[in-house]
Amino acid sequence: MGKSTVRALLVVGGHELRSRLRDGTAPLIALVAPILLATLFGLALGGDGDPPLKATIGVVDLDGGEFPASVQREALNTDELKGVLTFRQYPDEGAARTAVDSGESGAALVFPAGFSDGVRAGRGGQVAVLESPESPLAGVVARSMVDRISALVEARTLAVRASLDAGVPADRVQLFVEENGAAGPTLSLAGDPVAGGPVDLAVHYGSGMAVMFAFFVVGTSARSLLTERQNGTLDRMRAAPVPLWTALVGKSAVGFGLVLVSMCATWLSSVLIFGVSWGDPRGVFLLVLAHAFAATAIVMLVASRARTDAQADGYTLGVAFVFAFLGGSIVPVYNLPDWLRDVSLVTPNGWMSAGLSELAGTGAGPSAVLVPVAVVTGIGVVAGALAFLRFRKGRFA
Amino acid sequence: MTPALVCEDLVKRYGDKTVVDRVGFHIDEGEAYGLLGPNGAGKTTTISMLVGLLRPDTGSVRVGGIDVAEDPVAAKRLVGYVPQEIALYPDLTARENLRYFGRLHGLPRRALTARISEVLDMVGLSDRGDDKVDTYSGGMKRRTNIAVALLHRPRLLILDEPTVGVDPQSRVAILDRVEALVAEGMSLLYTSHYMEEVERVCTRVGIMDRGRVVADGTKRELVAELGGTDRVELVLDGDVNAAAEKLRAVEGVSEVAVTGSSSLRLLVVGGRHLLPGLLSAVAEAGAVTGVEVVEPDLEAAFLHLTGSTLRD
Repeated sequence: MGKSTVRALLVVGGHELRSRLRDGTAPLIALVAPILLATLFGLALGGDGDPPLKATIGVVDLDGGEFPASVQREALNTDELKGVLTFRQYPDEGAARTAVDSGESGAALVFPAGFSDGVRAGRGGQVAVLESPESPLAGVVARSMVDRISALVEARTLAVRASLDAGVPADRVQLFVEENGAAGPTLSLAGDPVAGGPVDLAVHYGSGMAVMFAFFVVGTSARSLLTERQNGTLDRMRAAPVPLWTALVGKSAVGFGLVLVSMCATWLSSVLIFGVSWGDPRGVFLLVLAHAFAATAIVMLVASRARTDAQADGYTLGVAFVFAFLGGSIVPVYNLPDWLRDVSLVTPNGWMSAGLSELAGTGAGPSAVLVPVAVVTGIGVVAGALAFLRFRKGRFA
Repeated sequence: MTPALVCEDLVKRYGDKTVVDRVGFHIDEGEAYGLLGPNGAGKTTTISMLVGLLRPDTGSVRVGGIDVAEDPVAAKRLVGYVPQEIALYPDLTARENLRYFGRLHGLPRRALTARISEVLDMVGLSDRGDDKVDTYSGGMKRRTNIAVALLHRPRLLILDEPTVGVDPQSRVAILDRVEALVAEGMSLLYTSHYMEEVERVCTRVGIMDRGRVVADGTKRELVAELGGTDRVELVLDGDVNAAAEKLRAVEGVSEVAVTGSSSLRLLVVGGRHLLPGLLSAVAEAGAVTGVEVVEPDLEAAFLHLTGSTLRD
């Protein structure tokens, strides 16, 4: 890239930045709105309800056998849940439901009668979970416990059936299976079952707003590109002795820069106002950098389909909200149904959420977010290439 | 001397539609060339290819000997392009607009400041240069639009309909300025709906119709193609379409175009002698309230070549 091209990019970028500052959109959308909303959400929803590190789970033991007791014992002894989890016993499902609805317990597990016998005999068994939308984190813990129980039950059932098929007499099967490694329940909730749960809600809403507003911030640059085309100034720029893509790249660069400032400012405000940590700053900055790039490319891609500036606004709004919802920027990923959790990873927001959970939730270093950073950057590269091709076709570049 | 502009066999298609079809012409150094054509003739698309905004499907453009496809940046340095619309930032002053586009053309800051004052003076806006463009009249905006294209002292100035929507006073000011620039040696490509502007400013004219240049030459050459054909303007109180049908059947009438709700334009051989026959032919369609027989001119040449009037 020649010196004259760099100078032209700086001229276009400087003009774009002055325009954004003059019309007030840059300070409003990049700073005031995300910081204000993140703070309001953090104050309203952070710290109350059912904090992840204090979950009360009700237990209805209609079985009375070894399995429910072992599950509770193992859960209370796991490193991750030590001092966090409290079990409260209820006589029946009705009482547990009332307790969950009233908020006395965050969630409840119901072990049906004959559960232990069923598992022992290789017939399997089902544990019900009662949840409340008021206590999402207890629900997450309860569900993850059931996931683990299911895995154990399945393994045990398989082992019993295989032993019977191999000719082990039915009255000796239990002893045989336990002697060969499928003894009682061993519960492990290490890491992934509660991914996303142990993050402070102030961090969640701070990062969520930063990630969502990234699209709106770039949206102002996309809009200005369309406005310039409508006004004819884009053609005038393209007729100047500079490469045809100068206007597109100059404006995108300003959008990218403003997103970086916006996300970092929201991050800083969250740390200062709530005293929370988003995790290792190097890892957070890598994620922010990748997301700023991806958001810029995605917004430019959708804007490349627009014919007017109003249409570009509409497309940006749609993408920002859909990605924010699917990617856990508004509702935490762990609170979404299973199939939506998978869908969340189609969006850069979902990977940001996963990456920040790693950093803030487990205290991991930057190496823990290399995969999310690579995926988000990859999304940006693909979207950016497609955007450039479409802009060339539409006489923008 | 290297021509200011040479374009050859330019073709631009959108799907099945050929918008520009093998267009070619040249402009000599210091020459003023006019491109005439009705709306949709392909003038603006042609200009977009000349200034490097649009890639032609086939054909070539050379500005000052530089191939636009091979070195667009160098070619664009030689061109001052004035688009049809007012391509300015309305919330900036004329001086700020000029500074931005001047810097985009790579003009050094100090030299640019002096040059901005010069071009503002050139277009008669020195006293309003620090006012926002959205406070300007249509004519002032048009003049600022032209001033932007003059900043970098181009060798070739391309004006696409530069007087659309301006008051007569501003139109005169713009034409005076353009004439002065040509007199100073600048090459010019001028497109307009207004025949009289092209006749006044340009020494050579290309007539475009349906994507093609159907004729190219000096005004004298184009008019000579008409031979002894005169233009007759008829004003009629009655059904002009019925009158047009009757007139087409009259021997010696080569073209008839309806130019308004009560007016017609005809090309006739030996206009004055044919006049009684023309009047009796339209008698049934209405009463003739005005007749003018005009010696062959560019307007007549245009009608002859395209079968339509310029403002169709």
